[in-house]
Amino acid sequence: MRSNTVGWLMLAPTIAILAVFGIAPFIYVLYVAFHHWNPFGADPLMTYNGANNFRRLVFDREFLLSIAVTIKFAFFAVVSEIILGYLLAQLFMREFPGRGLFRTVHTLPLIVAPIVVGSVWRLMTTPSIGIIPYLLKTWFGYDLNIGRDAGAAFLLTVIMDIWHWTPLVTLTLLAALLSLPKEPFEQAQIDGANRWQIFWHITLPMIRPAILATVFIRLMDALRTVDEVWMLTSGGPGAATRYVGLHIWKIVFPKTDYGYGAAISVIVLYLTLVMCWLLYVALVAPRQKKEAE
Amino acid sequence: MAQVAVRNVVKKYGSLQVIHGVNIDIADGEFVVLVGPSGCGKSTLLRMIAGLERISGGEVDIGGRVVNDVLPKDRDIAMVFQNYALYPHKTVAENMGFPLKLKGRPKDEIAAKVKKAAEILALEKLLDRYPKQLSGGQRQRVAMGRAIVRDPQVFLFDEPLSNLDAKLRVTMRVEIKELHQRLKTTTVYVTHDQIEAMTMADKIVVMRDGHVEQIGAPLDLYDRPANTFVAGFIGSPAMNFVLGRLEGRDGETVFVSDHGTVLPVPAGTAPRPEPVVYGIRPEHIDVRPGGIAATISVLEPTGSETQIFARIGEDPLNAAVRDRVASRPGETIPLSIDSQRVHLFDRQSGKRI
Repeated sequence: MRSNTVGWLMLAPTIAILAVFGIAPFIYVLYVAFHHWNPFGADPLMTYNGANNFRRLVFDREFLLSIAVTIKFAFFAVVSEIILGYLLAQLFMREFPGRGLFRTVHTLPLIVAPIVVGSVWRLMTTPSIGIIPYLLKTWFGYDLNIGRDAGAAFLLTVIMDIWHWTPLVTLTLLAALLSLPKEPFEQAQIDGANRWQIFWHITLPMIRPAILATVFIRLMDALRTVDEVWMLTSGGPGAATRYVGLHIWKIVFPKTDYGYGAAISVIVLYLTLVMCWLLYVALVAPRQKKEAE
Repeated sequence: MAQVAVRNVVKKYGSLQVIHGVNIDIADGEFVVLVGPSGCGKSTLLRMIAGLERISGGEVDIGGRVVNDVLPKDRDIAMVFQNYALYPHKTVAENMGFPLKLKGRPKDEIAAKVKKAAEILALEKLLDRYPKQLSGGQRQRVAMGRAIVRDPQVFLFDEPLSNLDAKLRVTMRVEIKELHQRLKTTTVYVTHDQIEAMTMADKIVVMRDGHVEQIGAPLDLYDRPANTFVAGFIGSPAMNFVLGRLEGRDGETVFVSDHGTVLPVPAGTAPRPEPVVYGIRPEHIDVRPGGIAATISVLEPTGSETQIFARIGEDPLNAAVRDRVASRPGETIPLSIDSQRVHLFDRQSGKRI
């Protein structure tokens, strides 16, 4: 079985990297999750405590709240990004002066590191020095203070995420739109479809795989947002923007409660998988089954 | 069903003009084929009739209504594309019923019409399949089914058979023709294949470089091509052309080629000073004792007929004969030209004399 050996050899570097940086840490986190381990706590030794960490988080109000706000955040951010990204992609399908420049500028947020995005947005929104509170005050007489107003803080984290990640959606959907054959659209015009009907019956079903892939990617990313929000609001005011990633960070680093933090990480991974699986079952699987028949 | 009229239609892309004032009248129920080499503007013209391209000048009239500014969806036409343009995410039945669904027709009416069209095209068993599960010929039939279901005023076909293999093409050609005889819907059909044009059309429009070269019934074009382009384009194998002059000899007119070959012309032809092009179709040349001596270059036997690529002196001449030819390349063979079927064209303008 020479070909098999060669195949495994070719895969070996990838498998090695995956094992060292993916599988091993995951198994270690899983291991830690079943232990009590707080090296700077009263009892610094790592001791096995069964499923107690998991038992604890079921009754942890802060954790449950953070899950709720994270899902709310992910829902608003991803839905807005998909809609806005699709509209921008359609815009870039048309010819207009300055299209190339606009397209380039529009993708710039993608290359900015999340921590920088968070800092910039923080600068722009800090009361008394930021441009956004200033303009809102002068134009609308509205006092923006994300240090005090929980609703505004939540909204701003959503807007920041939209600003940062919509270009990704635009690019993916633009690629999908560009790869579509022209004829079904011409055929639909002749068949008597208006613009809305063409969108609903032709465009949407044809770019559906791209939309779903983008939703999955963006959903997973949104569920584990940490750095941007950390820079902008640090999870505040109160716990209004303390998304689950931030919650884990707070437990693992300032509190050094490694065992509990690991348990939450495992549960969040599990929740993410379940959500994606539900989406898949609801949107992708029935259709494939229908086609396979 | 409707008449279609194309009047002085012009198409420009910026400063580039691709169609130069085309006029075509299509009677109700007629099967018209637009034929010409690639880039002659035939597809563009069809797309203008469909409303997929804007008309830069002139008028397109469908059923007595000028449709220049009418959207494709309001023109009451159906179109079949070269690559079928089926909706990949819809089943055969959904594809065929889509135009009716858009019109908001009741479900049972759609199902009945789809079923009827599927029966005509032998698609009943495929109605639940997706396009990717079909063969090329089946997809083609679905595309036609979608057109039939609409019961439109005009059918438009844009090279519908080009993606099929040679054998299937012949089958589908017959099917389309049968369909037209059955439905009698006005049809405009674009192809670059002159055999499709000859076999299917009531009327052929030969186009070149955005101009109409000739319009006529298939056999009219074959018997009386208006110019050298049509003469060379229609008919397979292609017509022989020999350059030369018409000279009077002993009270009779003969054709003398630039290389000195003497060939017979129809009785009553007058000599003329201007140079001419002499055209004779290969099938109007026969091997007969007493013919002009020609040297065989290549023989192509196809079973039903034999093509002879020969030379008379310097002038190449192809003949297609029903009989098998016993001679071999390099040998001499007597070729007899049916002088009544010779075509003469002015060399300068290319026009028929």
